[in-house]
Amino acid sequence: MDKPYKWTFWNREFDSPILLASGTAGFGLELMEQGFLCGAAAVISKATTLAPREGNPPPRIVETRFGLLNSIGLANPGVDEVLKTLLPQAVDLPCPLIINVAGDTVEDFPAVIERLEESPVPFGYEVNVSCPNVAAGGIAFGASPEIVERISILARSVSSRPFSVKLTPNEGSIVESAIAAEAGGADAVTVCNTFLGMKMDWRTGKAPLKRNVGGYSSPALLPLTVARVFKTSSAISIPVLASGGVNRAEDILELIAAGAAMVQVGTWLMRRPDAARELRDSMVSLLEDSP
Amino acid sequence: MIIEKEEILPGIYRIAFEVPLSFIDEAQPGRFIQLEVSHDSFPVTRRPFTISSTSGNSVEIIFEVVGRGTEILAETDEGRSLRLLGPLGCGYRLNPGKWLLIGGGLGAAGFPGLAARTECDLLLLGASSRDKLLTIPGLETAAITEDGSSGRNGLITDLLETVLWDSFGSIALCGPVPMMKAVIEMMPLQARANTQVSAEARMGCGWGACEGCSVPKAGGGFLKCCSDGPVFPADSIDWERWEGIH
Repeated sequence: MDKPYKWTFWNREFDSPILLASGTAGFGLELMEQGFLCGAAAVISKATTLAPREGNPPPRIVETRFGLLNSIGLANPGVDEVLKTLLPQAVDLPCPLIINVAGDTVEDFPAVIERLEESPVPFGYEVNVSCPNVAAGGIAFGASPEIVERISILARSVSSRPFSVKLTPNEGSIVESAIAAEAGGADAVTVCNTFLGMKMDWRTGKAPLKRNVGGYSSPALLPLTVARVFKTSSAISIPVLASGGVNRAEDILELIAAGAAMVQVGTWLMRRPDAARELRDSMVSLLEDSP
Repeated sequence: MIIEKEEILPGIYRIAFEVPLSFIDEAQPGRFIQLEVSHDSFPVTRRPFTISSTSGNSVEIIFEVVGRGTEILAETDEGRSLRLLGPLGCGYRLNPGKWLLIGGGLGAAGFPGLAARTECDLLLLGASSRDKLLTIPGLETAAITEDGSSGRNGLITDLLETVLWDSFGSIALCGPVPMMKAVIEMMPLQARANTQVSAEARMGCGWGACEGCSVPKAGGGFLKCCSDGPVFPADSIDWERWEGIH
């Protein structure tokens, strides 16, 4: 790469390829207050749903030897409150805000996006098809390429802004889902979401998470993300946003080499709220030092 | 940097860190820090610790080894530097007037700093045994242990029978949830309204973003332990639901 290092995404130029992953940065407001958004290309918000959701009963997170299980349950105040309270504050963010959208039904996705279109704030959307489809007995929307395409078509029909479809690694074929998202009109895919995981207390025979299973994240997941990014980016022509296992500058460069357009940092941000600047700076040093 | 480490009771440590003076200015009692206990990637998240006390340019925490994070911390030598985030969260409202502090086990870890900043009249401490009983010098203290190895034999609630609740304008309460709930239930309504509770939860980020550390809120929904608290008015918590979780 040549200096100055620039990354172009959704027709905008950034001096960093780093996106802050949904669920780990709120709406960026806390990080903005501390000046920690420097180095981030954009913030991806917590999931926003049509109605408010109080989230799952605690404990919502459990740490394992080599990673973290979470079962937050898409806790959020609902799209009305997001429009009324959070987005007006997000006007001051030093970087764009992408709103993550979730739902219980296929129709929820366009309904939430339609409401968000009323605000000038969102740079784009990230459509979370990893959540359970109530009509299909709780199987993730993302398990079926037909449903992924259907949601993408509906999102496209109401959105004036670009959107990414956040795919699930847990059910179905991620490559087929990526192809379906592109066919439905998506402007990117996010590869991917947390992996279904569970911890058991062998003494009590009980799982510490109230819902038993949760989403697993860990720096150890990086090779799984690299493989999925490589396979999906070879199969589609829209950008792939990599997500999963990033905690070093080398990881970002590796994912870009595998075909990612932009790279998300999630769990590591919880440990290092200034991760974006730290990783961007050390990535630039690596690029400068490499022949 | 760790400037002092001491095992004050079996498996219970006091560690003092050197911190910038700007940290001390913000380190009100009841606030907490997030420590990166390892330079390695694992454990992945930081560990939260209540600020026990501050002096000069140092901050102290008191903790018990309960898992891998605290085990690593207990084995870390003086002179080592660790990444420390904070002070975080909302601490105690430092009301004037007389204070009563009620602590169960390690729940008293945050009281030295609180006692130094308030007019603390009485400290009630309960623990399973004297091996778990923290002491705070210079405070009028009544202690009770479940096995009778120090002070009276019994539960902290046994010490409450003779408390003159009206003589305290503020009450601080910290300990295991069932213990705190039992204490709250013994209080007259006015005392309960004057009580501030220091809560504990498994924490992700520590700064309000991840929603990992929920505490059931009175009237429904959840509070964020890290940014709405960790110190809450006792009345803002749904004690039934909170006890159910533990």
